[in-house]
Amino acid sequence: MPTPRFPLPRLVTATALMLSVTPLAASAQEAPPEQERAASAASTPTQEAAQTRAAEQAPNAQAKRPSAGDSTGQPIPLVPETPTWDSFHGQLNAQKYSPLDQITTDNVGQLEKVWEVHTGDVSDGSGERPATVWSATPIFANDTLYIGTPFYRILALDPATGEQKWSFDTQSKLEAMTQPALKNRGVAYWQADDPVAGKPCQKIVYIGTMDARLFAVDADTGKACKSFADNGVLDINQWNDTHAKWPLSVLQPPTVVGDHLILGWAGKDWAFEQAPPGTVFSINARTGEREWTFQALSDAMREKSGTANVWTQMSADEEHGLVYLPVSSPSPNYWGGNRTEKAPLATSTTALDVDTGKVVWSRQWVHHDVWDYDINAAPTLMDITVDGEEIPALIQSTKQGFLFVVNRLTGEDVWPIEERPVPQGDGSVEGETYAPTQPFPTKPAPLLDQTEKPKVWWLADAVSGGECSALWDELRYEGMYTPPTTQGEGALTFPDSAGGVQWGGVAFDPQSQTAIVNTSRLVQYVKLYDREAYEKANSGSGNESGFAPQTGAPYGLRLEVARNWLGMPCWEPPYGELVALDMTTGDVKWRRPVGASQQYGFFMPESWGSPTIGGPAVTAGGVVFIGASMDARVRAYSLESGKELWSDQAQAPSVSNPAVYEYQGREYVVFIGGGNTILKQQVGDQVVAYALPEE
Amino acid sequence: MSQSHSSRIGAILLLLASLAGLAIALYAYSTPLTGVNGTLGALLTAVACGVLAVLALGLAALRGRATRILLRVLTLLGLAGTAFAGLLLHQVWIVVAMGVGLVGLIVDMLRSPRPTRSAHA
Repeated sequence: MPTPRFPLPRLVTATALMLSVTPLAASAQEAPPEQERAASAASTPTQEAAQTRAAEQAPNAQAKRPSAGDSTGQPIPLVPETPTWDSFHGQLNAQKYSPLDQITTDNVGQLEKVWEVHTGDVSDGSGERPATVWSATPIFANDTLYIGTPFYRILALDPATGEQKWSFDTQSKLEAMTQPALKNRGVAYWQADDPVAGKPCQKIVYIGTMDARLFAVDADTGKACKSFADNGVLDINQWNDTHAKWPLSVLQPPTVVGDHLILGWAGKDWAFEQAPPGTVFSINARTGEREWTFQALSDAMREKSGTANVWTQMSADEEHGLVYLPVSSPSPNYWGGNRTEKAPLATSTTALDVDTGKVVWSRQWVHHDVWDYDINAAPTLMDITVDGEEIPALIQSTKQGFLFVVNRLTGEDVWPIEERPVPQGDGSVEGETYAPTQPFPTKPAPLLDQTEKPKVWWLADAVSGGECSALWDELRYEGMYTPPTTQGEGALTFPDSAGGVQWGGVAFDPQSQTAIVNTSRLVQYVKLYDREAYEKANSGSGNESGFAPQTGAPYGLRLEVARNWLGMPCWEPPYGELVALDMTTGDVKWRRPVGASQQYGFFMPESWGSPTIGGPAVTAGGVVFIGASMDARVRAYSLESGKELWSDQAQAPSVSNPAVYEYQGREYVVFIGGGNTILKQQVGDQVVAYALPEE
Repeated sequence: MSQSHSSRIGAILLLLASLAGLAIALYAYSTPLTGVNGTLGALLTAVACGVLAVLALGLAALRGRATRILLRVLTLLGLAGTAFAGLLLHQVWIVVAMGVGLVGLIVDMLRSPRPTRSAHA
């Protein structure tokens, strides 16, 4: 039952904030920016082609062909014709859209909890076991709800009752090998075009582990698929052949396109100058055999740098045989003197031919990234009508709060994307060569206003005796893409590496051509230290928002949230918003603060919003569902107006997209309350399903 | 009702309200899905309610004028602060309990025995 709530007077809560200390800063400081990273393996013939820009590659993309997974050669609609939620973002187009309309804006207020499951796979990190970070989205397939847990188990649940059908335990080491926490983003599902009854592994569920193994399990029985790799287990680390002393992790399930498992991986961030270079693999879904690999970095750069990996979900256009990679930044994150040559596929959206792994087009969104602006969400594929022309488009959200919209077949702009001059630093960092320009979309407008230094919040400044103003004076900010510096307190980073849009990405309603996206508005500052200064300055905290060594590079770094001694954010609210965009014009339809920030249990006014991790789902009933906020509530909003229509309390922040499915004539919405230290130190093991009351 | 009993009714009401607040805060602290379970804020609020209960007992038991004034001031501050914490915790029943406690405090102030004036005065 929803918790009773009532509005708080602004003045009252403002006072309370002073008394109780604000959540934002603490949350962000505790937060390891999601540093899932990837690594190595063999290079492919695609590398040279990859070094070219989208326009040059465009002809490659024009030829339509049957999908890799479509044995009939029939057209495959971008939006599935039947309700589908069988992958991390619901559908391969990453729209997070359900055509179900049983739950509408009129009746969503009647939603009731129909079942709740606690997996038991949770740790708050207080003991020897690391804390859990659970960013999975349940998937609905084979009349079953499949879930991966941060203890690397698969659960198969009855969609109507939550009753467990079977479970599979990978027996994976529960150690923080590459990450500060035990992380999991769920499972992937594949099935043969024509499953043979009684034959095992015609339908398979896959889960990756912290120690980089990929397990294949029969979806009906929960037994390992012996025909897949080594008795159902594929060791991804066997392909870690560059800088192999750093292990890999498979936290994001593979993206299943036809019979291909497209797989990236994660590694350790910020700790070293070098890292395993990001490699994406195509693996045969039945056998586990490697089909092709993709490298975002040149051979030379792979040796002296690393990452530029894909640690999040990908999207795919099966009709055109394209898979879209959100590629992260190269290592180390905040210094690029070891990688001054061009690396056009890093921090990019790159479209590959799913059968060959060859680059069809690529657009780089940050040149020479020294801000950890990984592309962290699958681009959302959509057919939109702009100025009367139907365009096969995609929208790429970013940490910067930019939304880049391009033709998904060619990579060409839908609305102009301009190269604009950007700050060139203060000359204090040796070896750097900054990019003179960066791409800026002209439409949609940035979700965050990066044109000027965020204003100091008077309240935080007043209660700290001017601490925030003094800090602001010590921070260099010349606008978006101000490079890190060794001077003063460093450079202000806004949006920061934990801000903007995270892996929940953009949802899209194809009927009204409306895009929905949640965003965070966070301010951090980063300072580089030469080796000697770093050793003196490092407090030894070792956490990601404090000092990080970038060992091997000439500079270590300190990254802090801009807050006062009380923990209050030094910048003005709101701290997180939900935004709806008309994709026929690129204009904002509405935007509103989302959720409430919380510290020590005390809720701040909802008008201040909350930082958000996770993302929305949208339905044909005109309802947007989202968790994502610090207050661990799950909510429903009107797609048309943005009005909040319903909410309920979850065990921990729901830091993934919800799942929407229909089973036996009833529409369900399922959230996972798993928590993420980016938001706050609150963990959960809850899977909770809502539906309308039965007649 | 004896005058002594009558004069204590305000303190008794305050005591009951404080204990109710304590119970609600402990429930919120210990029960999953209250939104504040396991939080420092809920625990501190429970402690504050406990302190208010002790203050209520003090008001019922003590007779010294200065002491009672001090206790009332502390109680008033405690009620206000705890109600405010209840607001921020989204625990409306704590706010209600503190409101009842305020009524008890007012009753205590109005009905407490006043020092008898000397007949010569």
